[in-house]
Amino acid sequence: MTQTLQSPLISGYRTPAIEYATGWVRQLLVFVLICTIALPIFWIAITAFKIPREVYTLDHALIFTPTLDNFRILFEHPWNLHLKLLNSALVAITTVAIAIPFALMAAYSFSRFDFPFKRSLFLLIIVSQFIPGAVVVLPYFLMFKEIGLLDTRTALILINLSIVMPYAVWMIKGFIDAVPIEIEESAKVDGASALRVIWQIVVPAALPGVITAAVFSFTLTWNEFLFALILSKQDALTLPIGLIGFRTERGDLWELMAATGILITVPMFLISLAVQKQFIQSLTAGSVR
Amino acid sequence: MTTISLKGIHKNFGTTQVVKDLHLEIANQEFLVLLGPSGCGKTTTMRMIAGLEQPTHGEIAFDGQRVNEIPTQKRDVAMVFQNYGLYPHMSVERNIGYPLKLRGVSEAEMAQAVAQAAQRVELTPYLKRLPRELSGGQRQRVALARSIVRKPSIFLMDEPLSNLDAKLRVAMRAEIKHLAHEMKVTTVYVTHDQVEAMTLAHRIALMRDGEIQQLAIPSVIYNDPANTFVAGFIGNPAMNLLACTVDSNEIKTICGIAPQKNMPAPKSGSLILGIRAEDAQLCDEGQAHLMAEVFTCELLGNESMVSFKLAGQLLTIKADKSVQHNFGERIGIRLPADKLYWFDADNGQRIRP
Repeated sequence: MTQTLQSPLISGYRTPAIEYATGWVRQLLVFVLICTIALPIFWIAITAFKIPREVYTLDHALIFTPTLDNFRILFEHPWNLHLKLLNSALVAITTVAIAIPFALMAAYSFSRFDFPFKRSLFLLIIVSQFIPGAVVVLPYFLMFKEIGLLDTRTALILINLSIVMPYAVWMIKGFIDAVPIEIEESAKVDGASALRVIWQIVVPAALPGVITAAVFSFTLTWNEFLFALILSKQDALTLPIGLIGFRTERGDLWELMAATGILITVPMFLISLAVQKQFIQSLTAGSVR
Repeated sequence: MTTISLKGIHKNFGTTQVVKDLHLEIANQEFLVLLGPSGCGKTTTMRMIAGLEQPTHGEIAFDGQRVNEIPTQKRDVAMVFQNYGLYPHMSVERNIGYPLKLRGVSEAEMAQAVAQAAQRVELTPYLKRLPRELSGGQRQRVALARSIVRKPSIFLMDEPLSNLDAKLRVAMRAEIKHLAHEMKVTTVYVTHDQVEAMTLAHRIALMRDGEIQQLAIPSVIYNDPANTFVAGFIGNPAMNLLACTVDSNEIKTICGIAPQKNMPAPKSGSLILGIRAEDAQLCDEGQAHLMAEVFTCELLGNESMVSFKLAGQLLTIKADKSVQHNFGERIGIRLPADKLYWFDADNGQRIRP
């Protein structure tokens, strides 16, 4: 042994002063990044509790008397936001409730069974998502008009299903792939029917994937804008569409937009809080080799 | 209480033949070990018994009743997998109780059965833990407990010890042997480890390329191998197999070296001479059949292994622990006539004098 092996850490050694300086620069960058993300949310959060006069002056940027008036106004005529909230909730919940079980079954089939054109079919499902919504919105409009589904929640649910299903199938498949086949075989030997194997063994083992897919599907549907804008007119309007209603002849009603923004964000925030714990739990449960 | 019979079993995966015309009768309460190198078809055979694979041809019967069409769930077999196959989201208790839950056993009965099974494999303190919180050996015991909790007709074990460290493997081997004795259940055990096979089996089916090479009790497999494959697979070290040329029933060369003394052989032509490491002896030149240079001398503690290289072929002899030889030292080797095995050089089959 004539050559001394040098640790790569030693070759990259930096003096404490440089270390200290780069540490500060790094923290500063992180701070700037956080501000970029958080400031608009913060601005919306405080605007929602301001009276219109305070929205436009910097004097009241941070110091003002909070009011819940905006939230009251939202639910009164002519805004009637509760109807849009109901639409959004029904569309999102129904979409997730339909999408996840079907996606689970499709993902299981793609993961475990061999059938002709399996790869091509899977690719097709994923590729379908590369088509911009704007390209297909007109055909959808004409189609739904023809069958009388325009301005209905059913139309939005159908559209959202077509959007979220591919993602859900793809996500859940990844998690099912990671569940060792031996666990399933073991359950079969123990006496479990094929459905029980999926429901009692595969689903719990792939739960992080199912939860992720559900949350992701809910988020996509809850925030969906383009199709809701084109395909609904009055009865099926959703919260994001409600937002543009505040651009009126009298100008943009920022305080109401902000309050609606809060209403849109809060459920997502609560869901992620609720799911976080379980998500981490199921993630760390992992599988056993 | 079940007998298993495999009649003319073939299994193909695409164009690959994994099991070829397998015939096997396993008696009630027998502990049969399917032994062989990777890819010999032993695990596939077991999976066909479990119903996890369907044979391409042939019949599988339990107690004389054809079971080919009966799904795994209804075959009443219990299986221990190489990677344990534990349910990661269930506690040890629920893992063990799962087969009973599926059979609609009451909570009280289940708790009692789980407690008994856990006690049997010394898992009682770990019942509330998740599989990931257990060591390899403990996980293996959970898998065992789960398989005994419902008293199946057949036990299937697929290399259950191969993921454990050497020391634990010896301990678990003893536990499995004891358990099988107590449970009195027909057991099929798959392994590539000849020590496991020798120690556990009532009978060993040694497989290669989807075919059984020899089916016999361990002592016969060891002392009376059917061919060079069996002779070379069983034993540690494996039997020495040396190519010989024989003329007029006298050995002319062993690995190209002419023997020092006359050595009779059962047949003329090209043969393979086999001798166990413990049967060959180191000796003086006067008594030697062969003279060779020491390749290595290894002290194992209770004995020494002295190896020679004869025309590229290794010949290993077990010797007393006091034996020490230097590299290249030239010493005599005695091959006692009554300890020799003869095989056909073309097909490897045993030639019995």
